[in-house]
Amino acid sequence: MSDSYLDPRPARLSWPSRRAALRLALPALFVAILAFFALAAPGFLSLGNLSSLLLNNFVLLAMVAIGMTCAIAAGGIDLSVGTALDFSALAFVALLNAGSGLPLALGGALLAGTLVGAGNAGLIAGLRISPFLASLGSLFIGTSAQQLLSDGGQPNYLAPEARPDLAGARFFGVPLPLLAVAALAAVYGLALARGRFGRQVLALGNQPLVARYSGLAERRIAAWVFVAGAFACALAGILLAATVNAYVPMSGNAFLMNAIGAVFIGATLNRHGRANIPGTLLGVLFLNVTANGLLLIGWSFYWQQVATGALILLVLVFSFVGRRPGD
Amino acid sequence: MNPSPVEAARPRLGTLLLRRGALLAFAAILLVFALGAPNFLAPGNLANVLAQSAILGILAFGLTTVIVGGGSNVLSGGLDLSVAANLGLSAAVYATLDNAGYGAFAGIGLTLATGLAVGLLNGLVVVGFRLPPLLATLASMNLVAGLELVLTENTVLPSASPLLEWLAFGVWLGVPALAWVLLGVAALLILLIDCTPFGLRLYAVGEYPEAAHAAGIAVRRHVFASYLISGLCGSLAAFCSAAWFSGSTTGSGEMLLSVVAIAFLGTIFSRRLRPSIGGTLLATLLVGFMINGFQLLNISSFWVNGLQGVLILLVVALSGLSRKEP
Amino acid sequence: MSAAETPPQAVVLELRGIVKRFGATRALDGASLRVRRGSVHGLVGENGAGKSTLIKVLAGIHRPDAGSLLVDGRAHAHFDPRQVERLGIRFIHQERLLPAGFTVDEALFFGQERRLGPWLDRRAQRREAERLLEHWFGLRLPAGALVGELSSAEQQVLQIVRALIVKPRVLVFDEPSVALVRSEVERLLCIVRRLRDEGLAIVYISHYLQEIEALCDRVTVLRNGRDVAEVDPRATSPERIARLMVNREVGELYPKSAPAPGAPLLEVRGLGRGRAYRDIDLRVRRGEVVGLTGLVGSGAKELLKSLFGLAPPDTGEVRLDGRPLALRTPRQAVAEGIALLPEERRRQGVALDLSVQENVTLAALPRFSRFGLLSRRAERRETLGLIERLRIKSAGPQATVRQLSGGNQQKVALAKWFARRSSLYLLDEPSVGIDIGAKAEIYRLIGELAREGAGVLILSSDLPELLGLCERIHVMHRGRIAARFEAGEADSDKLLAVATGAVAQQETSVHESIPG
Repeated sequence: MSDSYLDPRPARLSWPSRRAALRLALPALFVAILAFFALAAPGFLSLGNLSSLLLNNFVLLAMVAIGMTCAIAAGGIDLSVGTALDFSALAFVALLNAGSGLPLALGGALLAGTLVGAGNAGLIAGLRISPFLASLGSLFIGTSAQQLLSDGGQPNYLAPEARPDLAGARFFGVPLPLLAVAALAAVYGLALARGRFGRQVLALGNQPLVARYSGLAERRIAAWVFVAGAFACALAGILLAATVNAYVPMSGNAFLMNAIGAVFIGATLNRHGRANIPGTLLGVLFLNVTANGLLLIGWSFYWQQVATGALILLVLVFSFVGRRPGD
Repeated sequence: MNPSPVEAARPRLGTLLLRRGALLAFAAILLVFALGAPNFLAPGNLANVLAQSAILGILAFGLTTVIVGGGSNVLSGGLDLSVAANLGLSAAVYATLDNAGYGAFAGIGLTLATGLAVGLLNGLVVVGFRLPPLLATLASMNLVAGLELVLTENTVLPSASPLLEWLAFGVWLGVPALAWVLLGVAALLILLIDCTPFGLRLYAVGEYPEAAHAAGIAVRRHVFASYLISGLCGSLAAFCSAAWFSGSTTGSGEMLLSVVAIAFLGTIFSRRLRPSIGGTLLATLLVGFMINGFQLLNISSFWVNGLQGVLILLVVALSGLSRKEP
Repeated sequence: MSAAETPPQAVVLELRGIVKRFGATRALDGASLRVRRGSVHGLVGENGAGKSTLIKVLAGIHRPDAGSLLVDGRAHAHFDPRQVERLGIRFIHQERLLPAGFTVDEALFFGQERRLGPWLDRRAQRREAERLLEHWFGLRLPAGALVGELSSAEQQVLQIVRALIVKPRVLVFDEPSVALVRSEVERLLCIVRRLRDEGLAIVYISHYLQEIEALCDRVTVLRNGRDVAEVDPRATSPERIARLMVNREVGELYPKSAPAPGAPLLEVRGLGRGRAYRDIDLRVRRGEVVGLTGLVGSGAKELLKSLFGLAPPDTGEVRLDGRPLALRTPRQAVAEGIALLPEERRRQGVALDLSVQENVTLAALPRFSRFGLLSRRAERRETLGLIERLRIKSAGPQATVRQLSGGNQQKVALAKWFARRSSLYLLDEPSVGIDIGAKAEIYRLIGELAREGAGVLILSSDLPELLGLCERIHVMHRGRIAARFEAGEADSDKLLAVATGAVAQQETSVHESIPG
């Protein structure tokens, strides 16, 4: 490699190395926030509040964030997670209302959501469009399609007789949505952390050229990453539709920012600064708890937005400030 | 996974086609609309399109400046996702101040200061803390949008100052004031970026930071400046938006994706296929004409988003294919 | 130019006892350099001798830990980049530091623009660009041509003109001829002489001792971060300078080559790809180390890439173990047991933020996984074995590769292919940028590979390296193999003469048939 006289700062996004102290600082902050809310908001630790937090807030964001983790681990980003979610919800509601059985509706919904990912995969792996622009394009097209299909954004309600009680169902006393998240996290977490696929994703995300020069099928890996990510979002779409008993067009975009934030909080917790599923789940919990606690101590929804935004920014700054300039 | 940075931009047939093709496509679209809707080419309608495009256009100029200074690689290059949220906050600040009875100068000054402050925050985080702009501005976008909500409680704040009256209804030489604002801001930025040493250095910083550094250019300061300019564009667009909607509006953040699309579309209108204010102006007008033409032809405006998406993908795919593999 | 005030032959620039440490290593250990006005001062040394660190200190990029820098006798503890410019010291970098999307005049003037009030005076810049190019180089470039459309040599010319615009007093050329062909090098030397005659002090860094001999008035030899000698190149033989650089007999660096090559492994016949290369015949047998060299643009690099599936050829055939291959992707190449050690190690060879273990097993993941899940124990065992065998100095399999030295990173890149059990090794400049100790170990490993029956094809511009390692060396010139030499019948001068085109194509006269 030829030496340059210049500041050798790389221009590309690389996972920074950060101080070990930071990894401890973040959990400490999390515990402090928990303690603060427990003291300041009496209802915070009540079973009712915690279970509603898990069921209503955690589950959906966790699924989307798991999908996002795949894309970010591979060095990309997926702006169309919401589109995958929406398409799945749309297909689910439409199929159920058309009288098809639950299995068909589930299958159709998963397929519809995953198709969005397949589209991205084609653009990224086939046409070599950067993930940001490819998923941005998908988002636009998805929005247009939803507007056309829903007359500009009118919700499509599930007929009362067609409503499956997915959100309230329990297995061995555990709510079905939680089980679904656990299963999703287990499979994705195992594949990313221990699987051959996860290692390939890791190499691709860190140094795509090295992946290529090591004989990995880099395009195929990228394609699968986006398909798998969309699948997780499709699951979230089914759950959302089953919870609100309706398909509300363009509702998936609300998860985008928080999902990215959660993944990066999770990456900050990791020793190597890598996006990872357990970290992402903690990140989601972190965001949920903060919002919930702020609500309980009487902050308006609007201030919650500001606080969450500031918090995410802070975490990002923390996670990148440990980076040595010479790297 | 990302295409590696272009090392040498050799002109190829594809590139030439793309450049000429962009202008041809523009002309073709105009022609279709002109044939389909008789009053499309009426001076009044054209002026109207200009005025309608002011908000998106000025935001896209801000984003373009950031892309010029940061390079057009999306993940690591320049990006400002907070421009639209900035507009929302600035407009809310202006409406609040105006309603609270502040004078014209205080109102305008503080609004501009709001936009600059957002730019300052972005610059600080990107240049000072070295966050990738994509993440940094995504986060600041949320923060700024939250502040806007706090200020407006998610309602419309009506406002009707003389400035807004003039912007909304003023006409000079038969052209509405907003159209003049769009052209004026474009002219100023073209002067700044295409005609001054600052602009040339900004391009150098964006395209090849190591070379800029070696040439003694203060790389970080230039990148910082580009975020300030973008912040200022956010508040300038806020005046236009406040005039158009007679006050602050909710949901300004939804404009973001259109702005990003326009800024990236703009590159195909530049001679060297790089971000430029002139190219962005053309792209703004293209989108403006499309929306307008759809209205005149009674086609659902819901198609516009999708078409924009297809256009982005087409442009990127074409420019990607005309590029050599690493 | 304030040069008029200084008497001729006065020392303009002096570096005294510069020390620069990076962690535990001393990149510079008391290096000194004295440059006089109106003279060309050569600076030579092996890779890792401290040349680039010294230049970075001079450019104000690094702060020395000790020593001083004197300009016209005035001492500074360190420079900063702006000060360097004010003092009239300019650099002509080996890398072409020009934005590809800039026009010729923009590329010449960015950072030092001609102004008209607050505006860019594009017209003056264009005029002056034309004048300067014509005056110094007799070169006319189309108005509005973009840097990316120019040849390497033209871009190099732009870099030189850029430096001349501000009327410098000291010009530092860092390997300026690397990307140039012979005639352009001659031209470059003429220009440097002309600049010297106008009173500039010139520091000229080059690997090519012939250039140093032809050009320099004095030459400083750097070794292990110290200046070991300052000599007059005209009175000193290149061999002696080379010995000063290395301070050891070159022979002992290289392993004893394998005695008996085996069956043919790689056979290339009539291979061609566009304008990059054509009519390539090449054979590597098992247990054989074969060399390949050529200047930038000779097609050697593209040939190596083609053999790894990176740039598919359009004519000819490639056989591996007798089977014809149509390599279209690196993936196919790896599946066939072909390994590439790329020159851009930190970009293509190793993943810097992954651990040693993750790098080592990357090309052989199926070997370590069952049902799609990796066995970390198996990975660890393999990695520990290779760490020991290759003597990789690291904190263990979990150490991040970024923390390793260049030589150890290179060993990790090589270990990846050992773990893959590759049979054909394509090595692209395997010893660039690594210290002498690691170099010797890489050479040892290359010898080991050959003894174990692998085939090795080395592309290198380090001619002594090729001469020491290879049984046969192919020299490429303008897309063809211009000559083949057997070990023992070649020397650096012969190789260089063919590579630069100084000796006409002599393929037939050297060796008619491919041995084996």
